[in-house]
Amino acid sequence: MVSVPILEMKNINKSFSSVKVLNDVQLSIQPGEVHALMGENGAGKSTLMNILMGVHSADSGEIYLDGAKIVNSNPKEAMAKGISMIHQELNPVLDMDVSENIFLGREIKKGTSGILSIVNKKQMRHETQKLFDAVGIDIQPSALMRDLSVAQSQLVEIIKAISISARIIIMDEPTSAITEKEVDILFEQIRKLRESGVAIIYISHKMEEIFSIADSITVLRDGQFVSSDNASNLNKDKLIKLMVGRELTEIFPKTEAEIGEVVMEVNNYSFKPKVRNVNFNLRRGEILGIAGLVGAGRSELVEALFGVHKSAEGSLFINGQDVKIRQTGDAIKNKIALITEDRKQTGLNLIASIEDNITIVSLDKLFPRGVINRHKEDEVVDKSIVKFGVKAASKKNKVQSLSGGNQQKVVIAKWLLTDPQIIIMDEPTRGIDVGAKRDIYLLIGELVKAGKSVLMISSEIQEVMGVADRILVMAEGRITGELERKDFSQEKIMHYASQFNRGKEDEETE
Amino acid sequence: MRKVILMVLAIMLVMSTAVFSGGQQENGVDKYALMMSHMTNSFTITLSNAVKAAAEDLGVELVVFDGGQDVSKQISQVESAINQGYAGILIEPASVDGIKPAVTAASKAGIPIVTINQKITNQELADAFVGVEHVEGGEIEMKYVVEAIGGKGKIAFLLGPLGSDGQIGRTTGYYNILEDYPDIEVVYEQSANWRTDEALKLAENWLQTGVELVAIVANNDGMAMGALKAVEDAKMLDKIKIFGVDATDDALAAVAEGRLSATVSQSTEAQALAAMDALVKLANGEDVPSEIIVGHTLITKENVADFQ
Amino acid sequence: MKKLNNIMNVQLMRELGIVIVFVVILAILMILSPNAFARPANLMNIFKQASINGILAMGMMFVIISGGIDLSVGSIVALTGVVAASFAHPGEYPLIVPIILALVIGLFIGWFNGVGIAYGNIPPFIVTLGTMTMIRGVALIVSKGAPVFGVTDAFENIAGAFLFDTIPLLVVYFIVITIVSAYILTKAVFGRRVYAIGGNEISAAFSGIKVEKIRIMVYMISGLFAGFAGLLLASRTVSGIPTAGQSYELDAIAAVIIGGVSMSGGSGRWYGTVIGALLIAVIGNGLDILNVSSHYQLVIKGAIIIVAVLLDVKSKERTA
Repeated sequence: MVSVPILEMKNINKSFSSVKVLNDVQLSIQPGEVHALMGENGAGKSTLMNILMGVHSADSGEIYLDGAKIVNSNPKEAMAKGISMIHQELNPVLDMDVSENIFLGREIKKGTSGILSIVNKKQMRHETQKLFDAVGIDIQPSALMRDLSVAQSQLVEIIKAISISARIIIMDEPTSAITEKEVDILFEQIRKLRESGVAIIYISHKMEEIFSIADSITVLRDGQFVSSDNASNLNKDKLIKLMVGRELTEIFPKTEAEIGEVVMEVNNYSFKPKVRNVNFNLRRGEILGIAGLVGAGRSELVEALFGVHKSAEGSLFINGQDVKIRQTGDAIKNKIALITEDRKQTGLNLIASIEDNITIVSLDKLFPRGVINRHKEDEVVDKSIVKFGVKAASKKNKVQSLSGGNQQKVVIAKWLLTDPQIIIMDEPTRGIDVGAKRDIYLLIGELVKAGKSVLMISSEIQEVMGVADRILVMAEGRITGELERKDFSQEKIMHYASQFNRGKEDEETE
Repeated sequence: MRKVILMVLAIMLVMSTAVFSGGQQENGVDKYALMMSHMTNSFTITLSNAVKAAAEDLGVELVVFDGGQDVSKQISQVESAINQGYAGILIEPASVDGIKPAVTAASKAGIPIVTINQKITNQELADAFVGVEHVEGGEIEMKYVVEAIGGKGKIAFLLGPLGSDGQIGRTTGYYNILEDYPDIEVVYEQSANWRTDEALKLAENWLQTGVELVAIVANNDGMAMGALKAVEDAKMLDKIKIFGVDATDDALAAVAEGRLSATVSQSTEAQALAAMDALVKLANGEDVPSEIIVGHTLITKENVADFQ
Repeated sequence: MKKLNNIMNVQLMRELGIVIVFVVILAILMILSPNAFARPANLMNIFKQASINGILAMGMMFVIISGGIDLSVGSIVALTGVVAASFAHPGEYPLIVPIILALVIGLFIGWFNGVGIAYGNIPPFIVTLGTMTMIRGVALIVSKGAPVFGVTDAFENIAGAFLFDTIPLLVVYFIVITIVSAYILTKAVFGRRVYAIGGNEISAAFSGIKVEKIRIMVYMISGLFAGFAGLLLASRTVSGIPTAGQSYELDAIAAVIIGGVSMSGGSGRWYGTVIGALLIAVIGNGLDILNVSSHYQLVIKGAIIIVAVLLDVKSKERTA
């Protein structure tokens, strides 16, 4: 099986302002293989890929394509050589439509070439539709990128890479925001690409995915090359050990907490058209999971409960009291916290300090007279940092200098400082590494042990099954099923999550 | 949507014909247009009011247009005036170069056009110019300065925006006079862009240098008032005399109080009357000289009462 | 650990950077003009000349930190100056009337800007560009296009008098407004929220902050300070001039940017703005004294703004 590698990266070194992030790293990719690149956040995977794409230049080391040495000084050069990357953070042109994004920079022209030529929108949409049809994706080529969900944009990005007939495609966490069904579509595509000789470098934290798709696996840790092997020679435990350098016996530690009375009762909550007539309740000490496909309305439901959407309707009882939540401040007063899915957009002020981020929601509580007492603030923040294990040299540092996992800890610290009774978490472990995920599961356990209630949205079925006491499944803005822990199964959750017709029947019988 | 656009176009058409038909003669009285470069300082407002009064005296109708210091706006104002059949156009140009297309259009249409206060680069295209010689204004101002400071000492100039007609003319006038007075030294010569606050800062900074000035000579009264404030704040009015041009109301008051040594009037009323008279004559087919120069008047404490 | 230390140093350097630029320019001017520029009286004069722009810059700082911009301040200066002067003729109204009018008008225009931006969802640049033009027009209408003069001595003394016969009141106002602004920005919960909405408006809204309310208040502060600056300029020039204050908004923005406040909002310190305002005044004064043409002064001022922002961008590249 030792043929000429399509791509080889040898002895790559890279430092950012005197911090070594890659130390003699190597990577060898065979044509027509799916090669997983594994490692915790900060292991150097993204930097290595950015060097391959020409975004960064290596301090030393060589890159060989088909045995010939190459140098990429920018992504355009890399793309011209058939190397394409689908980023974790998507950067589509929001005000263009889907087809224009797919053909960005290589638009189909009408008539003569040159500056006078006109973009042939119709033709571009037609071609896009053909690409989508071939793959089985249901997105309108004329839809604006702005109106697409994260998952849909991700799919568009993947189609774009496929359409430029790349020979090496780098996928950085391609499934972090898409549903199982969409994952199946993606994997089908990856297998097709592999058969046609395209090499895929696949970066993901999700073990199941790696073992179902990858042919070989390279592991990095702290900027060092650890190992490279066939996937068939490894298993989940071995891989985790390689990645974190220690054994993780249990991925989902489940703390048993006493489940008490109902603390929150949601009646007929709607935020049309995303959320329709939702009813459920949440008990003291309970972890209630919300499963479903992306776009099922889960995030919109919790946002509506939290007062983000002014047009939401329905009634809400907290500890038996009827409460009106018109804005986020009302929710906070009623001891609800919402730890959102997107840290960078909704969770943090990246350019502010760790300290400012942690106290921002609690300022009124800490300083009712409107004047900040620095001494007191420092004390409170120091305690939080220790309690949640935020790793930073100083609390005055900007949050953007932290790793994803540490940023997530800051978001949690910020919300738990408000001393909430009901903690809503929307995809709390998205995009963070195995070790940090475990810390969050343990923390959720501690919270319910202390008598708080947790409402957790998760798209990872394994996770929601591992952590929750009870699971609500949503589809098309409705709750389509409810499962007690003893009844949990992947099949049942998927069954409820894809019940698209039941909702309509409900409406007819109303 | 298309229907709406059509309707709007139809309405515009009807309205424009209404405007065209209401042209030259209204109740048998000739209608003239005055195009002002802008209407944001005392001088332009005084000038337009004086022209209005002159038109009334001559028994003709006058419409004033404000160009908003925008030459392209002024050009389109002139073009519409041509279409609306005005008997003649009086223009205080927003730009000495840029206004050329408007003047060309008027002369092609056979409508008399007279420039007032400011000559344009292609003055030959217009029928006449009425105004003052800025050089003369500068000379009158500087002659009085020389007299007031006894022909010697260090002086400073506050200039208008460099390159503007008034700045170039008046400053040339200053130097014409100074040729004969070698004992007068110009130590500072800076632009404060006609503005009071800029002149105030500039004069404050000059006073910090310890140079013993005997006079600050300004291209306009606005700047002279700024310098006056700086000198008064420094309690140096007994040592430094201030001079301006324009005869604005506040400057006249300051002259009357003896704080401002002198200002020079551009004889705005006389300019207005001569210009309106020339325009009406041209419209009636009479000949007028291509350049009508109105004289400046020096205003000091002695004669200020006549101008207030 | 090493990496974090590095970031700290860059931030420190950046904050010191503008101070170093300031000190270097000061030193150069002192060497070039030891007998005029370096005199204590002139240094006080610089402080005085920095005051009106400094007060505008303090208001602008709140707006820019909140992620906005206020182009209307120059026109507010003109309108409030004209109105104040109109109510300051001898024997007509007590002195408090023009003062209150200037402040209330400034506050109202700021409120109008804020409501348009917060509830109308119109970009700050557009709203304040609109009010800038409108308010300039109103100032010309109110004054009939000509300067309003003939004010009382008391009115002239608002800006013209001295504290202890040595410190111009203008400087006192600048210091007081700086202290108040610094206090609000660093000590008040409100100030923290201004940073929060400038840094990330969406996360601020999710954190229970009433974004619209904070936005309106920020523009009201800017309007209020501009109203006060208009009163001071009218007092200083002993007349209300409808064309005054043109391009003052740009000087205020320049002071804020030179002082290290990022145009994208969410960061910046009050003392940077003070140094920015002083730097602009120092350059103007120094070059006037050295008899450098005001046209060259514009070139130098512009170059310093670009260098300051370049420093900003470079430091961000290194911390990223």
